[in-house]
Amino acid sequence: MTTPASENDPAFLLSRMALGDRKAFPLLFAATSSKLFGVTMRILKDRTQAEDALQEIYLKIWRRAGDFSADRASPMAWLVTIARNHSIDVLRARRPATVDIDEEFSLADPGLDPEGLALNRSQGRQIERCLSELDRVRAEAVVSAYVDGMSYQELAERHEVPLNTMRTWLRRSLLKLKECMQR
Amino acid sequence: MTPPIDQRQDDPERDIALAGEYVLGLLPIGERRAADARMVTDPAFAARVRDWQADLSNLDTRYAPVAVPAGLGLRIEARLFAGDMSVSRTSLWSSLAFWRGLALASLVAAAGLGALASGLLSPPADDAAPALVARLANPDSNIGLLASFDARSGALSFVPAAFAAEGEHALELWLVPADGAPISMGLVPGDGGLLRLDENLRGRIGEGAVLAVSLEPAGGSPTAGPTGPVLVSGSFARP
Repeated sequence: MTTPASENDPAFLLSRMALGDRKAFPLLFAATSSKLFGVTMRILKDRTQAEDALQEIYLKIWRRAGDFSADRASPMAWLVTIARNHSIDVLRARRPATVDIDEEFSLADPGLDPEGLALNRSQGRQIERCLSELDRVRAEAVVSAYVDGMSYQELAERHEVPLNTMRTWLRRSLLKLKECMQR
Repeated sequence: MTPPIDQRQDDPERDIALAGEYVLGLLPIGERRAADARMVTDPAFAARVRDWQADLSNLDTRYAPVAVPAGLGLRIEARLFAGDMSVSRTSLWSSLAFWRGLALASLVAAAGLGALASGLLSPPADDAAPALVARLANPDSNIGLLASFDARSGALSFVPAAFAAEGEHALELWLVPADGAPISMGLVPGDGGLLRLDENLRGRIGEGAVLAVSLEPAGGSPTAGPTGPVLVSGSFARP
């Protein structure tokens, strides 16, 4: 970190937690829990489950505080990732996949250079601009998946297309997004 | 489902899409678990997942904060630091077996307290029933609290009288029926150690009734039941 850490800066609190400082825990909880509760409520849509999930998430955060690296992610992005991952795990376990998705993956797209994609580091700041380059419906599908934890099944039903079509759309959209963000 | 390693190298496009699907949370549970496992053994794939997380994290602004129920943070702290804070796990509240076992142990403990307790109580008036005494303790700590209840006046008094939580916390008293949810008796009195119970609560206290103290946010539990760890507990017996 380049600037002196303030007392309630989540990155500073995480570093104290990594050293086992218990006093840092309630401070981090106070500073970040309403955002993470927003995540669990939005994805799980059930208050009791969202509260249970939040408890598990903060247990994980305490245990994994040492894995946080300020060079790699902002502390809030790191915390939200843990919250989203846990919530989606709960959600997917709750609703077992009913349909096997066709594993075929043939997405010929002449504008794409996969090798180039693999080499570049992603930018991370341009997501909204790159989403706007996608077809509006597909951009919405990407956002609904990320923010609300919608499954392929739900997206296919919402957009009234077969499941495999949905998956092909989404994958193609992801590759376009990646290509845009690395430009 | 997951191709062997030599094939993976040849299909970066597939892996980029798969890592994106993983981060979006779209994969069915089986494929999600497979991707979790692959991240452990395949650093290149793990890096693709991290890249997507960084790419998509700007969408986090779409999550509006939601107020967290009071007491939830304390409950998590109790789970994290239970052993060293000398507290019982909150889940014990829902375990009937725990309460039965506790009541029995406390009866035995209380039997040895007669001499101590009798010196604490105001002299019982002629035909009045003797007071009930509960020794509240915790096997993991040396905090102890002696409660005595005078059924006639409804007075519940504590020794030591000065027994209070610090700062943002409060100590709340609970009466735990043999077969129901804990009933709040209010906060542990910080001054003088005397609590006067209403008729309803008086009627519920008898031999074997369990009394417990939990750690709560200032002002007491925000819900109908205890939200913080149980610090001490014990059951009433005749001294």
